[in-house]
Amino acid sequence: MAYPATSPARRWSLFWLLVAITLVVNLPIILMVMNSFQTTEQLVSRTSILPHDLTLANYRYLNERTSFWQFLWNSFTVSGVSTVTSAAIAALAGYALSRFRGRLVTGYSRALFVVQMFPIILALIPLFILFRTLGLINSPLSVIILYTVVHLPFATWMARAFFDTIPRELEDAALVDGCSRFGAFVRIVLPLSGPGLAAIGIFSFLFSYNEFFVANVFLKDQSAMTLPVGITMFMQQYSTDWGSLMAAATLTVVPTFILFLGIQKWITYGAVSGGVKG
Amino acid sequence: MTVQPRLAGETGSWRASARSWYASGDALPFLLLAPSIVLMLAVIAYPMLTGFMYGFSTGTLLKPGKFVGLDNYLRLLQSPDFLHALWFSLLFAVFNVIGCYVLGLALALLMNQDVPFRGFFRVALLLPWIVPSIVSIVSWRWMMADQHALFNQIIGAFGGSPIYFLSDQNWAIAAVIVIKIWRSFPFMMLSLLAALQGIDRSLYEAAALDGASRWNQLRFVTMPQLRNISIVLCLLMTIWTVNDFDTPWLLTQGGPANATENLVLLAYRYTFGRNDVGLGSAVSFITLIILMVLVVVMLRRQRER
Repeated sequence: MAYPATSPARRWSLFWLLVAITLVVNLPIILMVMNSFQTTEQLVSRTSILPHDLTLANYRYLNERTSFWQFLWNSFTVSGVSTVTSAAIAALAGYALSRFRGRLVTGYSRALFVVQMFPIILALIPLFILFRTLGLINSPLSVIILYTVVHLPFATWMARAFFDTIPRELEDAALVDGCSRFGAFVRIVLPLSGPGLAAIGIFSFLFSYNEFFVANVFLKDQSAMTLPVGITMFMQQYSTDWGSLMAAATLTVVPTFILFLGIQKWITYGAVSGGVKG
Repeated sequence: MTVQPRLAGETGSWRASARSWYASGDALPFLLLAPSIVLMLAVIAYPMLTGFMYGFSTGTLLKPGKFVGLDNYLRLLQSPDFLHALWFSLLFAVFNVIGCYVLGLALALLMNQDVPFRGFFRVALLLPWIVPSIVSIVSWRWMMADQHALFNQIIGAFGGSPIYFLSDQNWAIAAVIVIKIWRSFPFMMLSLLAALQGIDRSLYEAAALDGASRWNQLRFVTMPQLRNISIVLCLLMTIWTVNDFDTPWLLTQGGPANATENLVLLAYRYTFGRNDVGLGSAVSFITLIILMVLVVVMLRRQRER
């Protein structure tokens, strides 16, 4: 709080201003959720912005007539596996960045910057050709490998920021007691960074779950598609069926919201400290 | 293997040297970094080199072609599509960075004050950033899809004639930029808010003692303190905007008449639409070079600090 001595009147006028801003900013999302409880006919014919005669018809339609649950399952598989792989790899690399110096570590930090800015399309072209010969198109593995690498910069920086907060004296004590360096990492540092690793994991999960571009290139078959790709297919097939589209989008966002509430207090850690401190 | 007397001196010495390397302490950082280095080599370094080679040849996704030298690059320089994509990428990045920085800074300054339920607003204003791109596009599209959509009903209520946001070139460009700003400003807001909270309060007290107005405190205390982080944030945002595929693709698929096609969309269309791997790779490689230049600038700045 940079500005001291705020009067109650000022505080509450700021409060109402922020309420208005929040409503306007989130209007697209709010309307989408409300519209998902209206049939497309109601949406097209109604004159007011607020919904009336709420109905679950769209959700019933999604459940009975589309592969929505298949897409959701695919999304969960891909995101779950890539979360575990990227958190594990980033924990190792983050520990190296936190505790060691030298040319290797500096070079590696640079490489992370390159990954961060890398135009993923440039990787997708050769990898599409490679994966096609390996029979990996439509395989969740193709997407998982890419997500693991794409998440590496932020996950590593975040892991490093957490490890930096753990005092080195703890490891030194373990070393004196005859533990190896790696043993000290596994037995002392990792157990202490549980919350940090959880936050990294949730972030990775969110990013994978939300990701569209890579999945769109590699997952061509309906049975393999993740939710974002599956929904674009709805969009092309029933471009005017707004009701079902809104319901699909609303259901998609539910896991995002739940996970987001779990990490919101850590958000500045990875996104900011990582990207900026380098 | 079971315990055996040492047979081959060679294995023994190999093991011994491995053990001493490990004991020296140089090995651990290498071993810790090894898995990610392998992945980066496979997913970044290999495609970067192959993509570079593809850029100098013809060929399709199904079979490689022959070497044609700089042909692809020369064709690109004469192609209006490429020049347009280059221009649109620039426009997209500049407007988005300015837009989301201004909006993010304004909101961060608001939220940096003593407001009730600040924590709630901080979370609620991040939603546009965390919802999947497809969800944000579905929700926005509905508001601007055709002449009966929400925006046009509002325009109609004020007596205006409907605007075809997605089929008029200029309006489509504006729509893509506005939605991108909407999706990006929370990151700016959050980062700037964190930076604002890190500013030493005594600076404001000193300024207040000297009789500085709020505006002057903002101008002469806050802004100089935010300068470095602002530069880094804007560079990061530029990189992310140049690399953005989702917003323009999901909203307009680059249309109408390629008006909202940036370099990434163009590379995608050449490669996966026209099946021309050489041309697609050349476009992506040019994108990489542009971004590399930006990153070098960014790393320079980091070192200066």
